[in-house]
Amino acid sequence: MKKEFYEMLYILNPVQDDDKFKELVDFVNNQIEQNGGEIVDVDEWGTKPLAYDIDKKSTGYYVNVYFNAPHTTIEPVERNMRINDDIMRYLTLKYDAKMKRHYDLKKKGDLPVIFDDEEIEETEDDN
Amino acid sequence: MINNPSHPKKGHLKSKECKFTKAGIEYIDYKDIDTLTRFVNDQGKILPRRVTGNSAKHQRQFSTAVKRARFMALIPYVTENLR
Repeated sequence: MKKEFYEMLYILNPVQDDDKFKELVDFVNNQIEQNGGEIVDVDEWGTKPLAYDIDKKSTGYYVNVYFNAPHTTIEPVERNMRINDDIMRYLTLKYDAKMKRHYDLKKKGDLPVIFDDEEIEETEDDN
Repeated sequence: MINNPSHPKKGHLKSKECKFTKAGIEYIDYKDIDTLTRFVNDQGKILPRRVTGNSAKHQRQFSTAVKRARFMALIPYVTENLR
């Protein structure tokens, strides 16, 4: 079956041990692999403050996963994540060609800079 | 007025340019909070195109990116006005 490139960002309940985080990340990775996907990259952002409270919690443990998978993978994985109480929120995106190019550039570290010239203008104003 | 070089208001007008087009951005990432907060006001509202000068294409992309970031609690839906 044709595989697509996906990215998923999810937030874990921060009120638990460090071992539990690893366990949960492994749980999600296993879910993806068991349903025919293959993990490309796992990026754990760690505990970050949330912009607003979710389930009466003001911080969350962010994990960002990139994976290749056929479209049938997503539904069972998301169902299991919804059932799990320690996963507070998740967002899965399918990448199209433009997003993939953006991702490759980001990986190489030469993303186009948006605000480069504006900062120069600001410093000129100060003088 | 814009085409007339001797118009008195000419000096005040800044021709707006889409920052995303200028930088050659193809996709606006919702995880890139620094960029997103530049085009959002203090309350967390999305600034209109007439203020930022974004192109229509990028404004659409940008607004979905903001909405995704809000859902993931990266940026707030509303901020209380601080007095």
